[in-house]
Amino acid sequence: MLRIEHLTKAYGDKVAVDDLSLHIRPGEIYGFIGHNGAGKTTTLRSAVGIQRFDAGEIYICGTSIREDPIACKRQLAYIPDNPDLYDFMTGIKYLNFIADIFGVSAQDRQTRIRTYADRFELTADLAQPISAYSHGMKQKLAVIAAWLHDPKLILMDEPFVGLDPKASHLLKEMMREVCDRGGAIFFSTHVLEVAEKLCDKVAIIKQGKLIRSGTMDEVRGDDSLEEVFLELEAEEC
Amino acid sequence: MLKILLKKQLMEVFRSYFYNPKKNTARSKAGIIGMFLLYIFLMLGVIGVSLGFLAWTMCGAFVAADMGWLYFLIFGFMAVLLGVFGSVFSTFTGLYLSKDNDLLLSMPIPVGSIIVSRLLNVYLIGLMYIAVVLLPAFIVYWIFGTCSLAVVIGCLVMLLLVSVFVLLLSCLLGWVVAKLSLKLKNKSFVSVLIALAGIGLYYFLYFKAQVLLRQLIENVVVYGEQVKGSAYGLYLFGRIGEGDWLAMLLFTAVIAVLSVLVWLLLKKSFLSIATASGAQKKTVYREKAAKLQSPDRALLGKELRRFASSANYMLNCGLGLLFLLALGVGLLIYGAEMVPEIDRMLRPGSAAVLLCAAFCLMNSMNDMAAPSVSLDARTLWQVQSLPVSGWQALRAKLNMHLLLIAGPALFAVVSAAIALQDGIAVRLLFVLVCLLTALLQAEWDLFVGLKLPNLHWTNEITVIKQSGAVALAMFGGWGLALVLGGPWFLLRLDAAVYLGIVAALTAALDLLLWQWLKKRGGIVYSNL
Repeated sequence: MLRIEHLTKAYGDKVAVDDLSLHIRPGEIYGFIGHNGAGKTTTLRSAVGIQRFDAGEIYICGTSIREDPIACKRQLAYIPDNPDLYDFMTGIKYLNFIADIFGVSAQDRQTRIRTYADRFELTADLAQPISAYSHGMKQKLAVIAAWLHDPKLILMDEPFVGLDPKASHLLKEMMREVCDRGGAIFFSTHVLEVAEKLCDKVAIIKQGKLIRSGTMDEVRGDDSLEEVFLELEAEEC
Repeated sequence: MLKILLKKQLMEVFRSYFYNPKKNTARSKAGIIGMFLLYIFLMLGVIGVSLGFLAWTMCGAFVAADMGWLYFLIFGFMAVLLGVFGSVFSTFTGLYLSKDNDLLLSMPIPVGSIIVSRLLNVYLIGLMYIAVVLLPAFIVYWIFGTCSLAVVIGCLVMLLLVSVFVLLLSCLLGWVVAKLSLKLKNKSFVSVLIALAGIGLYYFLYFKAQVLLRQLIENVVVYGEQVKGSAYGLYLFGRIGEGDWLAMLLFTAVIAVLSVLVWLLLKKSFLSIATASGAQKKTVYREKAAKLQSPDRALLGKELRRFASSANYMLNCGLGLLFLLALGVGLLIYGAEMVPEIDRMLRPGSAAVLLCAAFCLMNSMNDMAAPSVSLDARTLWQVQSLPVSGWQALRAKLNMHLLLIAGPALFAVVSAAIALQDGIAVRLLFVLVCLLTALLQAEWDLFVGLKLPNLHWTNEITVIKQSGAVALAMFGGWGLALVLGGPWFLLRLDAAVYLGIVAALTAALDLLLWQWLKKRGGIVYSNL
């Protein structure tokens, strides 16, 4: 579903991502953890086609993001760490805008908007301008927008920040549903307990380098993910 | 505490002089000096000199008629008008909409200190406008009238009193705007309407001012006696400039009382206004069938919504729409009379060429596409992550620009074509040249917007009003008008031939820029 091969990206002299390779298969929830500035966001932005990279290759469903970004973007959805949405639109106008871009049929968009907005208890607020939304409401809207075209692959940067416990729980359910339908999720998080309970696989990145990856059991062994993470951080120091 | 807040406020006010927001770096010493010199040149060199010239033409007559007080009264009024015009919107935004209001209110800082520190900014802006009007007037009076100690002190007191009065008036108007904005639904459109009314009034007064001033100078004694007889307070105000100690004392007391009243009002209402989220009635969502659109239409709709959502955007980048409409109306009314006169005075065909240049000049005030790239800033990730090409996103911006100007531009061009006395070929070529230059202006705007993006702004006014892209977009339009009209006077060509050549060259430039935007521009946008 998502194959990252030898990804390298530098900002001036600083190498943000260094020869990183990952493979996310259909049905997998893949967690991406690392300290602040480790290179998680750069990797995600490169995978989505927002950011050019210096070396390596990224494939979405077998298509190179570098060679055919439009075809790749049709297959995926992305939620950044701080979803700055179009404040000048209402919630419903924003969702229709996204649906128009992806060419979602009237029937499908109506059903999905109704379903997801009801689940997130956002229906009553859809006619409000986004500028009036709280951070959590914007995050919920971004999630609904991401799910609107039924993407095969969803990439998220710290998706649980700002969500209330109920919405967080719902998002976890929705992530699992995507994978059960054959899709895949690749997301970054600092909440290790969430990663531990939710992810099928996990990758740990430090200073741009992948230091460990695999199934949850392979990565943590007999310890908790937190212990492994802290140990790896200390080792490298 | 107040000292710390004032220091922070001054750092904010003068930040752009010491810091380059585009490069995210501190300016060099030469850069800082350059910024200050540019500012002094613009304020004193351009506005100050023109007002000084006005004072110079008026002062002699007023001094000769022993009506110095009326001279000071007139300039005092002008200073109040300019000061309030320049600072009223900054009072509202600076006092009530500052992003750090919540932060400061959460700290152990007295509300009064926050208000005072905010008002310092407003006061400095007001003082700047007032000084530009009053200082040249004072200097001219000291040269042509009297320059005693009492007069100099009187002038300085007048400067102080007018600046405080402007601050009070701005505070009151800012308070009214704040109260209204809590109740209004379509704030941006209401703001645009109010601003347009203000601009209309400004131009009306500007065109009437010369006649009024001439009448005033010719009948200075009559008007002076009338004012003195019916409004003695105004006479006393003018007397301040002449060094009347009693007038100084009286007006200082009045301003002091007004200051206390305004202060009490602000202090009482600040907290409730600054922390209010608006009393708008919540619109309840009712599900209805969505109207499906193509991705291109959806992107265009997004750009149009963005434009309509901001009064600043509409006013600063769409003012040319008004000018184009005015040009069209003016040509319908005066065209039949004016056009033959131009052709007669210069040579046949001149009106067609000059009207093309005039169209370019008016259209140069339409710069919607120029800041549109920078305005994406924090939401840039959105379009970049969607399955649309960079060129599609740019084309939406270009179409937004062209769609907005289409009506007024066509109206102006058709009005001009009707007014022209030339044959059908020249008229058709005139229409073609105007339309091609309109396209060129839109493409140029987008080109400079892509070349000079600012994606790190904290206030949209930075990219809408103060950005290099918008300035270059406008100057580009002026340059186009000059290049289009200038050679007509050097080359002795027939109008049809001349316009034909201009059309061909403009079309070539259109094509060139279109290709650049489509190929290179799309990539640049995708990689911002």
